[in-house]
Amino acid sequence: MNTLLLAMGDSPGIYLGWGVFTIQLGNLIIILTMLALFGLALVLPFPGSGGRK
Amino acid sequence: MKGKVDPMSARAVGIAGTPWRGKLREYDLFKELTVGVSVMVVLTVILALVLGSPDEPSVTLKSWANAQTADFAATATAELGGTSETAQYGPPYTNTKGATQTIGALDLQSLSGVQLPVNTANAFVLDPLATLPNQPTEIATWRAATKAEQAKWTDTYATALSKAPKSAPLNVKSGNYGPVPALIGDLTAMAQSGALDGVIQAQGNAYNLNYTNEILFLGDGQYFQNLAADQHLTGDQWGMMNETGGTPGQSWLWLFSFFYQIPPFSTAPNADLLVVGVMLILTLLLALVPFIPWLRRIPKWIPVHRLVWKDYYRKR
Repeated sequence: MNTLLLAMGDSPGIYLGWGVFTIQLGNLIIILTMLALFGLALVLPFPGSGGRK
Repeated sequence: MKGKVDPMSARAVGIAGTPWRGKLREYDLFKELTVGVSVMVVLTVILALVLGSPDEPSVTLKSWANAQTADFAATATAELGGTSETAQYGPPYTNTKGATQTIGALDLQSLSGVQLPVNTANAFVLDPLATLPNQPTEIATWRAATKAEQAKWTDTYATALSKAPKSAPLNVKSGNYGPVPALIGDLTAMAQSGALDGVIQAQGNAYNLNYTNEILFLGDGQYFQNLAADQHLTGDQWGMMNETGGTPGQSWLWLFSFFYQIPPFSTAPNADLLVVGVMLILTLLLALVPFIPWLRRIPKWIPVHRLVWKDYYRKR
């Protein structure tokens, strides 16, 4: 794990590309996480919505 | 820290004055703040461990002149001869004709005027050399020459430099370059010692916060450009939304970056102006969604809002 962390910290970043589209792995993780949170916020019930009223 | 309906609001006028008749719920602001900050701290530490942090060492004129002496010398020659990118940039640095980005008669770059005038020969080469304890006599030779002589010296020296083995100043064949080789040699030595960084940054204050000249000089060379390209930071590499290393960058600039990758923007000499114009139009369209007939129907076709407020729509 430590080797992996050191390798990622020292590298110029990991880039994924399809044609003119290139994206840094860190950016992709952030964007996918935001989309996942948005999707979860849509489908999950609001905590405590059925409780204290 | 329990929130309650403000009784004073009942005295307000209009819709704000209508008393709330719905259900009330206890709300703990302190608890929410504590949980929110704790989650963000844990996430920040984990992401910093996994993705690293942007802590690249500074690029200076000293590091440049030591790492790639030939590129530094070639760039310094262009600064002296007034042929570098900065020397011909146009406003806000120079008065160069036809250098600005335009769309027809629209010339926003010229509107600002030359607010930060830069004479590259003086600012980057001659003035710094004049601060040396043993001021090179070649400065006086250069200043006494005509514009035509100066241009001829720098042109022939730049050509000779590019043809020399490894483009190294020491390998340049002898020729009629006037004071140029001596000036560039002294400037290179000054840069390699680190003195040039201090002189170019000096503004007569204890703390120097204006790095404009140093960055312009660095930007005119290939060394800085190549470092940026290695880190995927140039405009044609989606660089606007990238950060150094593995750290996530400005992903919200994806649309701005996208236009720079595709024709006609990717090949247009006025790409910046075109992209800003397109983004301005798209932003206006977004701001005016309620007034644009076909655009405002999108929520009816894709009813995401019904998912967001599903409790409300279920009870209707």
